[in-house]
Amino acid sequence: MSAPAHPDSTDLDRIHAAVKREKVDQPPSNMPAPMWAIFLLMLVSIIAGAQLGQSPLTGRVVDVRPGGSSGGDALDPFQLAMKKGSSGYSVCGGCHQGNGNGIPGQFPPLAGSEWVNGGTERLIRVAQHGLVGAITVKGQGYNTPGGMMGFGAAMSAQDLANVLTYVRNSWGNEGSMVTKEMVEKVRSEEKRATQWTEADLKPFADKNVPGDVPAGPGATAAPAAKK
Amino acid sequence: MDSTSNSPDLAADNQRRAAIDKSVRGPVLFLFLNGAFWLMLSTILGVLSAAKLFAPSFLGDCEFITYGRLQPVHINALVYGWGIQVALGIMLWIMARRSGQELRGGKATMIAAGIFWNITITVGLLSILLGKSTSMEWLEMPKFAWPVLLLCFLAYAWPIARMFGRAFRPEGFMVSTWYILGACFWFPWIFVTANVALHCLPGLGALGAGINAWYVHSVILLFFVPVGVAAAYYFIPKITGQPIASQQLASFGFWALAILGGWTGMQKFMGGPLPFWMVAIGSTVGVLLLVPFGLVGLNHHLTALGKHDAVSCSPTLRFIFFGSIFLPVTGIILALSSAFWTGASIQFTQAWYALQTVSVYGFFSMCAFGAVYYITPRLAGCEWLSVRLIRNHFWFSVYGVSTIVIMSLVAGWQQGADLNNPEYWNLDFMNHVLNSRPYVMARAIAWALISFSNIFFLLHLMLMVAGLGRRSNAPTLLHRSHGHDDTQTSAQASHA
Repeated sequence: MSAPAHPDSTDLDRIHAAVKREKVDQPPSNMPAPMWAIFLLMLVSIIAGAQLGQSPLTGRVVDVRPGGSSGGDALDPFQLAMKKGSSGYSVCGGCHQGNGNGIPGQFPPLAGSEWVNGGTERLIRVAQHGLVGAITVKGQGYNTPGGMMGFGAAMSAQDLANVLTYVRNSWGNEGSMVTKEMVEKVRSEEKRATQWTEADLKPFADKNVPGDVPAGPGATAAPAAKK
Repeated sequence: MDSTSNSPDLAADNQRRAAIDKSVRGPVLFLFLNGAFWLMLSTILGVLSAAKLFAPSFLGDCEFITYGRLQPVHINALVYGWGIQVALGIMLWIMARRSGQELRGGKATMIAAGIFWNITITVGLLSILLGKSTSMEWLEMPKFAWPVLLLCFLAYAWPIARMFGRAFRPEGFMVSTWYILGACFWFPWIFVTANVALHCLPGLGALGAGINAWYVHSVILLFFVPVGVAAAYYFIPKITGQPIASQQLASFGFWALAILGGWTGMQKFMGGPLPFWMVAIGSTVGVLLLVPFGLVGLNHHLTALGKHDAVSCSPTLRFIFFGSIFLPVTGIILALSSAFWTGASIQFTQAWYALQTVSVYGFFSMCAFGAVYYITPRLAGCEWLSVRLIRNHFWFSVYGVSTIVIMSLVAGWQQGADLNNPEYWNLDFMNHVLNSRPYVMARAIAWALISFSNIFFLLHLMLMVAGLGRRSNAPTLLHRSHGHDDTQTSAQASHA
């Protein structure tokens, strides 16, 4: 056989061997497809159709995220409140800090604070309406100009309850859950537009708002109301 | 067909095919060579971006090589630099051969378009590194790029489509040209729609993200998949010498892909702020696409049945065989990320990277390598130099891409399951990132292996294009196997 052509050669008689050894193209044949493959693909189609019906089992899409539109109850109520409260806490963290220790001389701590760990009634009222004037927390005096604003108007009862539950159960704190119903009860009882002072809140210091705490694991086992 | 192969016009047929090869030689080799260069660059960037993901201070804290810039450059180089360029080369050659048409005019336009394509990508990728990314997946290159890329693409697609129109098809229906013709029309449609919508329509909001996901899915399903499948449908019968097993399966697979291919994408945002019907259709079709993928894979399997010694022998067939195994795998990963039951767990995780890698590298590039190994000797007039380089290229690619896909999928599953697990409500996002580090390290190592083999692939191809390959009449086979395939046919041909 002759030597392969130089690629730029115009003489097509001297064709590169690769072209000569090629096999001819053939039309497709009609081999039948195996039955098992057809059945398998029918199964795939059924599964695919199920996506269109959203879900063959429930008839609707299941949002698997905790607290999602349909899967909220997958999480224990206490843990759900903690999870949501931890993101809600970003509002508080600006002053009280992420570690709950506040800033000495400026913003009082939440970690280990008797205001937080004491009665829920006083805690809810502070968060709902705000607090102003000189106060004492863990034996130290604070008098922040302007005090703490009330967050009740800007937050739903559920959100406020979640944050308070989070605050009462973080950084070593251990307290009972604050529920949406408790916050709503305080809201309906107290309609003041001004901030509280320490003296005003004295009567509520150790009072817990009555109300049921959802059953389940976590801090829900803590006493619901100690009057 | 024996009567044809033994007929006296075999010599004339050889001449005809050689003339066709010669007519497309310039553009095809240009595309292959540039494509191989971008491939090498992209895989090296794959190593770097994976390294940046688990060690952010790797190579210093320079802003130009942060993960957020390297990763899009890596993917864009893979898609536009390598993928589409090599695809155009393969489309041009197969279409010319299948339709029996020499490329008449437009060769200079093609080369010019190829040069502009490469310049645009170079500028576009540098812009991404300089921080001018549009932040839209697979469309990160700045606005100016897309009209140029579109025109360059059309400079190739139009002559290819014309060839189909003028075709001389003695063997009747050949499914590979249908896929190629489809790709010629589908890509411009997808590309124009996505770019006009994303760049020119104001205030798309959340829908913009959906269109972006549709673009990525559609380019995979209506461009990379058809071209890869076309190459497999062409080369498997060509090398094994057996006809395509079933015409019915072939045409059903084609039409199913053509009809379903453009409906996916929105399911990436399941549970998100898109109209639910869009997401539901995307999910359905994403799962349903397993049907055409399964049929095509089955057809390829039946065609290659009993010819597995050819698979171990012929470099082309070996690459294409593994490419067509990766096609159903692509389908399965697409179905996993589309179905509501599994998609909710792996959406927005590394599994997304698994889907991109398995489709563009695992399936398409493996088929493209096979095609390049077949086409180049015919155009360059010499044979591949080194069996060892081809073998290394094959094994490094197979192991590398399998590792990347499996690792990304497992990492994605773990990330998604952790993120959705109520028990881990207090786990920082950073912890999820740290948990995926081992998988990302494996990804970096796998890309490094692939880069290594691709550097030699580029060198090998450069030598071939320069005409420095083996001057021989015998093909470069992976094993010296007698009594089959290429060697046998060449003996027959010399008798004729």
